[in-house]
Amino acid sequence: MEAYIVAIAIVGAIYVLLTLGLTLQYGLTGLVNFGHVGFFAIGAYASAIVSMQGVPLVASFAFAALLAALAAWPIGLVALRLRDDYFAVVTLGFGETVRLAITSEKWLTNGVQGIPGIPRTFAGLGVGLPGALATLAAITLVCVAAALALRRITRSPFGRVIEAIRDNEEALKALGKDPARFKIQVLALGAALAGIAGAFYAHYITYLSPDQFIPLVTFYVWMAMIMGGVGRVSGAVVGALLLMLFLEGTRFLRDIAPDAISGVAMASLRFGAVGLALILFTLFRPQGLVGDYTRR
Amino acid sequence: MFGALLVAGIVHGLIIGLAALAVTLVFGIARFPNAAAGDTMTAGAYAGLLAHQASGSLALAGGAAVAASGAVSLLGYLLVFRPLARRPVASLLVAAIGVAFVIRAVLGLIFGHQQQVFQVPLAWPIEFMGLRIPPMDLTLAAVAACALAAAFGVLHLTSIGRQMRAVADDPDLARVSGIRPLRVMVALWLLAGAAAGIAGLMLGVKTVVSPEMGWEGLLTAFAAAILGGIGSPAGAVLAGLLLGIAQEVSTPYVGFTYKIALAFVVMLAVLLVRPRGLLGRVEGVR
Repeated sequence: MEAYIVAIAIVGAIYVLLTLGLTLQYGLTGLVNFGHVGFFAIGAYASAIVSMQGVPLVASFAFAALLAALAAWPIGLVALRLRDDYFAVVTLGFGETVRLAITSEKWLTNGVQGIPGIPRTFAGLGVGLPGALATLAAITLVCVAAALALRRITRSPFGRVIEAIRDNEEALKALGKDPARFKIQVLALGAALAGIAGAFYAHYITYLSPDQFIPLVTFYVWMAMIMGGVGRVSGAVVGALLLMLFLEGTRFLRDIAPDAISGVAMASLRFGAVGLALILFTLFRPQGLVGDYTRR
Repeated sequence: MFGALLVAGIVHGLIIGLAALAVTLVFGIARFPNAAAGDTMTAGAYAGLLAHQASGSLALAGGAAVAASGAVSLLGYLLVFRPLARRPVASLLVAAIGVAFVIRAVLGLIFGHQQQVFQVPLAWPIEFMGLRIPPMDLTLAAVAACALAAAFGVLHLTSIGRQMRAVADDPDLARVSGIRPLRVMVALWLLAGAAAGIAGLMLGVKTVVSPEMGWEGLLTAFAAAILGGIGSPAGAVLAGLLLGIAQEVSTPYVGFTYKIALAFVVMLAVLLVRPRGLLGRVEGVR
């Protein structure tokens, strides 16, 4: 039982990190990133591949963050020149292209067979509960640091600029600020968070394959962010926890009634539930559950 | 070899062109990229499959596909996109993803996830100038041509089509000229749904029918719509043909999985170099 709770806490914390990254990009800056899963995948594969060459995990995590941030760079350069709707389509395409590249480049990623046997975090403590608890402590620490950093950002001049980009980019330009530089930084920072989340994921699950990085993951994160409240750090945390409740709840439902709901039916139901949540929250409660009611 | 790929590319390109037509009409008139277009295609493919299994007639299957996709498309507009019309475009984007997921979930629950195929009779390919052309390809090309002719007929020869083009051109001017927005939007979503339905049916006949098929074709349809120039129906079809041929001809060199990546690269290149696409008007995408 403890093992189970620790396990979902770790996965929940991974989603918190992903949601914080998206909150920075969309919630604060207004960048409609539909390719979050691509940065997550880049971080996961980067850390897994490098660590299996004998690089220590601390370095491989840093490499994951760096590579994900670097991947955001060209996307940023292209996308900065585009309107929201085009940006969404481009990032959606980016996420899919990353997955296709992972599937095709077998020499690097072992294709659809995937990479097994990725070293665990805190392997020195054994595979049981102590190692998992240490991992949980580490990722919680990273989450707290990221959340505090984000909160700090919202109160800094940098934060005021990026929120101004979201609210009125033209006015910002008129004041002599260059939104492009800020957008690239925000994209890279958010991608780095997703990359670190990917590294934690890779070293916790210890097995990677392309079908773990379908676009649905991106929209899990969107659902978490929208449910929690767009543009709020606390909303990101609440949303990610709600998402975990949803994912585990649907799994639990299937465990108690395996005959009534087949595996594929459950997959469809999850899809439908995510879709409905996205529609209903957008329609009726765009601020989310703990959203900012002072603005629209 | 090249000729065979070219023929396959043209048929594939017609499918992309129809899907891109659905995307570009909505993008040009309702002004957002509809991510549910792919899954609207899937709905058409399943409806066509059911009709084909029941009757064996491809024409009836086409009718069923058009009806089902048109209905799904219109329902999406009335229930979701219409109430969101005055919201920021990001809301519409997120809601469109939601609609796509809901359609896919419903289809998955009803029909299951195993791939299904249209039971079409095998026939000898027709020899034409040294090319072997499967008769089914000719049939599909004819279906696509009819569908395109019908769509362009509606757009250019009917009053409602003229009104749609007017709204695409300048929504405010259209409004003050006495064009009723609701009628135009209903016609738009029906037309876009019908085009997606035919595209889904053709894709299903050509490959397999599965709940994921439409979503997988979505990116290529977006790429074709952007390459053709957003809001330009003729551009969408032309770009679809170009992309289809490029994807088929490049497959021996870059492999099957990079087909979609090719569409992505084309999309990026167009957005950077010539954002208005092949036949689009000058409009700000930036």
